[in-house]
Amino acid sequence: MPTPFKPVLLEAVGIPDGQTLASYRSRGGYAPLEKLLAEKQPGEVVEMVKASGLRGRGGAGFSTGLKWTFLPKDHPGPIYLCINADESEPGTFNNRILMEDDPHQVIEGTIISAYATRAGTAYIYLRYEYPNSWNRLQAAIDEAYAAGLLGKNIRGSGFSLDIYLHRGAAAYICGEETGLIESLEGKRAWPRIKPPFPAIEGLFHKPTVVNNIETMACVAQIARRGVDWFRSIGVPSDPNNPRDPGSYGPKLYCLSGHVERPGCYEAALGITARELIDQYGGGVWKGRKAKAVIPGGISMGLMTEAELDTPLDFAGPGKVGCLGLGTAAVVVIDETVSIVDFLHNSCRFFAHESCGQCTPCREGTSWSLRMLERIKAGQGRLRDLDLLAEIGSTMGMMPGSTICGLADGAAWPIKNALKKFRGEFEEYIKRTNPHGWMVTDPVPALQIVGAH
Amino acid sequence: MPTVIVDGKEIEIGADERLNCIEAARRAGAEIPHYCWHPGLSVVASCRMCLIETGTRDAASGKIAMMPKLVPACQTPAKDGTVIVTESTLVKESRARVEEALLIDHPIDCPICDKAGECLLQDYHFQHGQSERRADLHPFTSRRRDVGPTVTLFVDRCIMCTRCVRFTREVSGSSELMVINRGSKEEIDVFPGYPLDNKLSGNVVDLCPVGALGDKDFLYQQRVWFMKREANVCGGCSAGCSIFTEHNQDTVYRLKPRENPHVNTWWICDEGRYGWHHIHDESRIVGAGRRGAAANQQASFDTVEWSDVVTRLRADLKQAGRLAVAVSPMLTVEEAWMLCAVARSIDPQAFLAVGHVPRASADETFPGGFTIRAEKCPNRLGVEAVISLFDPAVPTWEGLLEHVRAGRADAAWITGAYPTAWIDGDTAAVFAGLACVVAQDFFDSPLSEIATWRLPAAGFAERAGTWVNVAHRAQSFQQAVRPPAGVWPEGRLFWNMLGRRGLYDPSAVRRQIAESSATFAALAGEIPATGVDLRIHQLA
Amino acid sequence: MIAQPRILTPEMVAKIEALAPRYPNRRALTLPALHIVNDVLRHVPLQAVVEIAHMLGLAPAEVQDTLTFYQFFHQEKPHGRVRAFVCRSISCALRGGDQVLDHLCHSAGIQPYGTTPDGSLTVEPAECLGACDFAPCILANDQLLKNLTPESAEARLRDLRTQAT
Repeated sequence: MPTPFKPVLLEAVGIPDGQTLASYRSRGGYAPLEKLLAEKQPGEVVEMVKASGLRGRGGAGFSTGLKWTFLPKDHPGPIYLCINADESEPGTFNNRILMEDDPHQVIEGTIISAYATRAGTAYIYLRYEYPNSWNRLQAAIDEAYAAGLLGKNIRGSGFSLDIYLHRGAAAYICGEETGLIESLEGKRAWPRIKPPFPAIEGLFHKPTVVNNIETMACVAQIARRGVDWFRSIGVPSDPNNPRDPGSYGPKLYCLSGHVERPGCYEAALGITARELIDQYGGGVWKGRKAKAVIPGGISMGLMTEAELDTPLDFAGPGKVGCLGLGTAAVVVIDETVSIVDFLHNSCRFFAHESCGQCTPCREGTSWSLRMLERIKAGQGRLRDLDLLAEIGSTMGMMPGSTICGLADGAAWPIKNALKKFRGEFEEYIKRTNPHGWMVTDPVPALQIVGAH
Repeated sequence: MPTVIVDGKEIEIGADERLNCIEAARRAGAEIPHYCWHPGLSVVASCRMCLIETGTRDAASGKIAMMPKLVPACQTPAKDGTVIVTESTLVKESRARVEEALLIDHPIDCPICDKAGECLLQDYHFQHGQSERRADLHPFTSRRRDVGPTVTLFVDRCIMCTRCVRFTREVSGSSELMVINRGSKEEIDVFPGYPLDNKLSGNVVDLCPVGALGDKDFLYQQRVWFMKREANVCGGCSAGCSIFTEHNQDTVYRLKPRENPHVNTWWICDEGRYGWHHIHDESRIVGAGRRGAAANQQASFDTVEWSDVVTRLRADLKQAGRLAVAVSPMLTVEEAWMLCAVARSIDPQAFLAVGHVPRASADETFPGGFTIRAEKCPNRLGVEAVISLFDPAVPTWEGLLEHVRAGRADAAWITGAYPTAWIDGDTAAVFAGLACVVAQDFFDSPLSEIATWRLPAAGFAERAGTWVNVAHRAQSFQQAVRPPAGVWPEGRLFWNMLGRRGLYDPSAVRRQIAESSATFAALAGEIPATGVDLRIHQLA
Repeated sequence: MIAQPRILTPEMVAKIEALAPRYPNRRALTLPALHIVNDVLRHVPLQAVVEIAHMLGLAPAEVQDTLTFYQFFHQEKPHGRVRAFVCRSISCALRGGDQVLDHLCHSAGIQPYGTTPDGSLTVEPAECLGACDFAPCILANDQLLKNLTPESAEARLRDLRTQAT
């Protein structure tokens, strides 16, 4: 069995008082920041992050340094940095661990990123459900101010930064970058149409960058250990494909569901699902086999057991028909689970969280939930599977029918489940609705109780 | 000039124009269906009905590169080389799916819904929708929610286009309407105790593409396919908003704004919108009456046939002597001119003054730019300009009162046509001693009580002619409904008193005025539906 | 405009105003203000919405619009002294989360989203709480209850309800 990855992002986990400034400094923290402030211009820091190949860890996987270059040059300001700590993708909890156990790593990364992007204010949009993270972050922010690492003219560099925590209220769509911005501005979190993109017109209509918590931790580590170190980990870009930015750096993989040891594990990008489950997670629980595995949060869809050797880098899950790496939250579903129950759980989630502004998602998520409810209640029809497949292939940013990617996330589990487990759906429907599975006309809906 | 290619057809757009693809496609004759976009509101691109295929044509090579996915036409600018495809299979399927999605929960209420016949959901369903239902059937509700004194909401018909909410935030600035809840449970509502009651509230009913928002004033009154619509101008204030009068069998049922980029853009205020009921008020003056006895008070009015009015009125006024005339700012330019001409033909020294100008305290301007004028009549500028052709001094109503008090008149012809009470007993008493008083008005008043002649007036929708608004824009309009039997609109009476033959023809009078005065030169030719700025031609 | 005694206490107002320098406009104080009121009152009554709106220079409808979007703030009456969010997303569902929810509702005699008559407990289904390493789990007030069974969940909540009286 190969040596497990020596934690870098998770190095503070298990260290007593690891969340304190003193502990962070003793492990080498904040010296990189001070060095950068003294020696590098903001543009150079942007180039450093770009050169590292760091791709956003929030789910989209867009090159972080490249995103920073979209900010207008010579803008009089203010420029805003929003840190997306809304982490609500089912199966995902790595940001929680980073904030609870090593908040200063996040803060150092934030200060470096704000310096690079010339942001004067950073808001950490923190989901309501993380009270411990709130306390740890606020304590760390207070320590940072007291140590002169935040506030006016940090270390005499001329650079000033305030970091404020802003509390969410349990809505998944606030994790979408413009949904986050709208929520911060005090409105309902309806994502904005793009263009304009946040780098041009974002929070309070000013240039804004939205970055993920884990991305900030990576920035801190890149500043400390260097670009070469970061690029020595992970999957290099394919030399035959100029459009492949590679998958560099360590990644936090969340493992949950039907495994012996659910947890957050750090590994080089590119570990396979099977390796993660067997070498880190103690294998599928209770001696069972996996039926399906979610590769990166429920939005990414499903891999079958046969597909578990897919590398979990930015390019891998796409090769087996999943939406992407997402949040790298791996959820194991064992052979005793009905795929109908899985899809019902997924459809229920997205119907509850759809923001409701655009027609295909608002109605598509609701319609698919109702069909799954009816199927589960033993009144499904084969025709429902065709309708679900159509909803799955037509709603989303990718076909262009919706404003944001929630619809794609809602569609992908439907697509994958139907494509990879169609037989099980058909068997279930025929078995539970022996007299009605063949009906093709519209049927009376169920009265849904408590679905939302 | 930038060229846009719409379904293979090239059209040019102005170099300075900022059009989206809906507007550009319209120029090429392609109507892209849409619900949430409106030129007067912010772009949200949320209904997704306007999704099209677009691309760009390379200026040098002519090669077309299409976008791999659909985009909303409302948020896509039409630039030089933009390629727009509105009828591909991909687009048609997308539209059909949006329609299907909207109809899943929509109560199929058409038989009892006011919007039937002018409902975009209906229209697009027939044009772009699927022929059979695929979604589960469930019983539908049609909850009715009171959102304000003038507007009602059928909650379940709403398709969440948010036009109404955006209107109250961006145009009226009053922010009464809101969306509540999230996802498919979203509804439109008002905050308890803060109803939708701003002065522009009625516009949200126009904006609603479906039958969710309804006008309480119009609810269940008339099916839209029975109504005809005439292009008119509102007579409520000097803004002169362009409107449509919608009517059936000479009964007005409602007014709607008519788009006019120079005047009201897309809106009208509630006072104007609901200010037509006086036309059908049973207490309005109908029929011409002349007081029987020699003394002006105490006797009742004898009905006079209109053909006799033409001669007897002239005779009475001639006999009386010095004539003073109040030319009401409710009259058209043509009527005002004819009245002055008639008056001067009776008494060459007749004193011609602008009639009473009703005024509220101040203009009201809303955040979106719309302004309700304090001057509550449509044609003061037009009447003043007409009188200036006869008397450069352009006396006012106060001037006329002075003139009469000073004993310089023997007869007074007061035109009114005001929809509300406008003169009190003390002011009316100024005319009490005159030999002949003509009160030509909509309703009885202290003036008609002491008048010799009691003549009716026309309502705005019964009038044809031209008004000039506060910004010197002249708008001409046709008669929408015929007045009740027994009512000759002022124009018809004046036309006959001038001895002209045939039916009253306002355009003939208009041409005559235009040809004989620089002020009104702009009215010489065909007047566009949105009117013409009088000052443009006055500079020449 | 405000006829009744204020629902927002001077302390609440001070807390809200203390945040004002953080944002370039007043509207951004909306969600923080809702939390400040909710933390004390365990709900945000309509009158509080009016008062917040006045403080921030907004129409009540604008604040209510935002408030109802989150499906988080109770308005008619306070939620229970213990507010138990029971996760029902995939990782918890795979390890018995739905059974925990059913059992809690059944034993407390309430429907999901309901509050016990004595006001001590509200049970609400929640979407992924981000504690999948301890599934199934509950967020009860500020405490994360981990690795639950229907029985252990009931026991933990009983303790919390007693403490919260």
